[in-house]
Amino acid sequence: MQKVLTGNEAAAWGAMCAQAQVISAYPITPQTTIIEELANLVANGMLDARFIKVESEHSAMAGCIGAQAAGARTFTATSSQGLALMHELLHWAALGRLPVVMADVNRAMAPGWSIWTDQNDSLAQRDTGWLHYYCESNQEVLDTVIQSYKVAETVDLPVMLVLDAFFLSHTYEAVHIPSQDETAKYLPPYKPSIYLDVKDPHAFGGIVQQDVYMEFRYKMQVAMNEALEVAEKADDDFREMFGRGYGLIEPYRLDDADYVLVTSGTVASTARVTVDDLREKGHSVGMLKIRMLRPFPFEKVRQILSGRKRVAVLDRNICVGMGGIFTQEIRNAMYHIPEDKRPSIYGYIVGLGGRDVSPEVIASIAEDVQKRAVADGEQVWIGLKE
Amino acid sequence: MAQKPIIYKSWREMPLMTASMGDTTINKTGSWRNVEPHHVEQVPPCSFRCPAGNDVVSFVTLAAEGRLEDAWRVLAQTTPFPGTCGRVCPHPCETECNRAQFGEAINIHSIERYIGDLFRDNPPELKRPPYTGKHIAVIGSGPAGLSCAYQLKMMGNAVTVFEAHSKPGGMLRVGIPDYRLPPDVLDGEIRRIVDMGVEILTDHRVGVDVSFQKLMDKFDAVFVAVGFTNSRPLGAEGDDGDDVIPGIEVLRRINLGMKDGVGDKPLVVGGGNTAMDVARSLLRNGRDVSVIYRRTRHEMPAITEEIEELIEEGIEITFLATPVEVIRENGRMTGVKCIRMKLGEPDDSGRRRPVPIEGSEYIIKADCVVTAIGETTDLTFLPDEILAKTSWNIPADELGRTLFSKMYAGGDVADGAGTVTAAIGYGRRAAIAIDASLRGEAIPENAAVSPSLRDRTGYVVPFEEINLAYFEELPRLEPVPLEIEPRIKTYDEVRQGFSEEDLTREARRCFSCGTCPACDNCFIFCPDVAVIKVKDDPDKFYIVDTEYCKGCGLCAAECPRSCIVMKSVR
Repeated sequence: MQKVLTGNEAAAWGAMCAQAQVISAYPITPQTTIIEELANLVANGMLDARFIKVESEHSAMAGCIGAQAAGARTFTATSSQGLALMHELLHWAALGRLPVVMADVNRAMAPGWSIWTDQNDSLAQRDTGWLHYYCESNQEVLDTVIQSYKVAETVDLPVMLVLDAFFLSHTYEAVHIPSQDETAKYLPPYKPSIYLDVKDPHAFGGIVQQDVYMEFRYKMQVAMNEALEVAEKADDDFREMFGRGYGLIEPYRLDDADYVLVTSGTVASTARVTVDDLREKGHSVGMLKIRMLRPFPFEKVRQILSGRKRVAVLDRNICVGMGGIFTQEIRNAMYHIPEDKRPSIYGYIVGLGGRDVSPEVIASIAEDVQKRAVADGEQVWIGLKE
Repeated sequence: MAQKPIIYKSWREMPLMTASMGDTTINKTGSWRNVEPHHVEQVPPCSFRCPAGNDVVSFVTLAAEGRLEDAWRVLAQTTPFPGTCGRVCPHPCETECNRAQFGEAINIHSIERYIGDLFRDNPPELKRPPYTGKHIAVIGSGPAGLSCAYQLKMMGNAVTVFEAHSKPGGMLRVGIPDYRLPPDVLDGEIRRIVDMGVEILTDHRVGVDVSFQKLMDKFDAVFVAVGFTNSRPLGAEGDDGDDVIPGIEVLRRINLGMKDGVGDKPLVVGGGNTAMDVARSLLRNGRDVSVIYRRTRHEMPAITEEIEELIEEGIEITFLATPVEVIRENGRMTGVKCIRMKLGEPDDSGRRRPVPIEGSEYIIKADCVVTAIGETTDLTFLPDEILAKTSWNIPADELGRTLFSKMYAGGDVADGAGTVTAAIGYGRRAAIAIDASLRGEAIPENAAVSPSLRDRTGYVVPFEEINLAYFEELPRLEPVPLEIEPRIKTYDEVRQGFSEEDLTREARRCFSCGTCPACDNCFIFCPDVAVIKVKDDPDKFYIVDTEYCKGCGLCAAECPRSCIVMKSVR
């Protein structure tokens, strides 16, 4: 089936395809239409799930944790301040090894209050032990919800998939929607190895002493390492079954490119157009889209960027006092390759608080990275009113 | 039996997340404890305040469970008059009820009344010990005398009650009008006492028909409970005529079916229950009656409901005035000269003393004055050597013991408490003392308390200790009284009783303060499975496993009714 859906509706329909059993969610702009659509799907019988209305995002995640611990497949969605309020329980879900799937609609943090997109809300949760996907299109949102369950339930870790406020959340696109039966062939029912069961009682999330805490953390790292392969296979299998795949990272016109623009989210779409333009004008420019941020696909990034002249990382976020967060990630990944293969890495801050990242903006970055011989300074702010 | 600790040698052996792999008995959390819970039953304020010593919380709780015969048996421990008390007691139990702060006080008296009425004509059998061979005389068949007789009989003694009037009941019979206490209720409850084998000799006035000394010689003990029999004089000029009549005399005449002997426009003087009763009775007898009271409504000693009902019925009360002279023309009363009063400093009773306002005299039209300004005892039947040791009363301790061996006294004649319930309690305490004395045994401690409450050693449960999360704020159920218009023309009972449905609903509002109904909250909430249910012992519902109780206090916090207290571990 094909329908014209917003990005938010695509997230909701993804949860419907995956037959999430418990929805525990609290509304917040610009996420609200996700849970409205889910409420519709539950109410009209298309999704056989328990919809839990809660009084806060903290409780929304607590509801998911409880239901997931009892063996149910759960889904929730939030944005910005709501995600921040969940923070404690994001750790809980991850350390509890509960494969919750959540959509986060990227929205700038307040104050000043903003409903427009940037990545600081999701990136502030980078270290909570969740897998992170950044999506570029409504179709990718729906497909990533389904893939997320496959990966999460294999490695027993929760997944956050991110879509840009309004650029995706409220923009309509044609989306292919697989049936629940088709999806079920890709995604078998959730069968946890250990869960709340009165016939086999265990206490969960209890106290541990110094002698084993580190080991539990290490087991998460092992699972994250494993998740890279699992996620890649999940994407391959998805492509085989549905004809669509995205990779963990996606190179665009990179084969012979000396200069690489690193992007994520909807900026990647704009960058594709810009790269096409620049190529026509004879620039040796390509684009690398980062789809999976956690676990970080070190090897793939190194392989792709190794031997390039310069890399420009477009960060729609700012770690104040440090720089763009994707920039740090890429620099970190590229440190361990031989010096003669190591590109210079330029950091650019763009589009905070929903400011438009137009083809002209991206072209100006491509121009800057080609022109400036040394990547001096940690970051360049693009379009700033000086 | 605690299992052995599980030691992991590699992260690969460990579970996915921190989940318990054995049972929790490995972790003896009891060693963490510095406070520990004790499952105790505390004293509920209703029972604590009942002058009769009734185990209120138990009969209400049993009524809530529909166990009405058991509820009756609880009442039967302490009172032969549940139907009567359910009607005439000013119910201090309700005044103290913790429910009053969340919804309204439980309608305890209506519950007691229902239970009393239900078994009045077919009372269940009560077990009694064998005959002791002792025989006790009781003087007066009012609530104190019959309560004492009832208890003594229940303890296995023979009892003879001497009653001066032609019918038993004392003030219950002659002092309380039928519209408050229908005669069939009183007859039924007295019949039960007689059916148990208590002998009541009516028309036997001690001092006239039989001498006090003879009773002292013939019986093993004598309990004096003659009550208040005389009205205090008015103390106004001209108060010695036939048209100035004591209120209790008027009530006696009405209650015994005689002519009331009162004029067409009587003025009732006083603010107590006798004043209310006599005024409302005279209204029913078609008189143009009004009341005069020297203080304000706030100081009136009558039961609030009686005052409210009197006002509802249209009887006027003149406050802050008192008669000073009876005015007669040609020997017939035409009016009463009264003087206005103001309130001064508090007197011994704690109420503000009324002070006359000079020159404020005025005349109220009346053809008759009925006095109800307090009652006194008549002790002239006592031999001189005993009479010499009395004052306004017969001095007696809480257990009815007087200065004279074998002679006990209780009720109004001893304490002047003035309520049926206090008299019932006094009679019961005296019976316990008499029985113990005749058996040569020690008087049990806490004799004032119902036997089913005697082992409660805790404190009176305050409202703050009720966990309101477990209760709904619900209003009190109150039966609708008779309409004003028909009721003031008859002696039909004004206040109505509960239906069985209302009884259950009302009883279920009870917090059961300090009284464990085995709700299992402590058992359910204990995070260490350290609360253990005791199935075999009906009096002990839960014990605490000290190996695992870490003293967190959840059980005490989640107990809806303060049956668990935390104490320091020594």
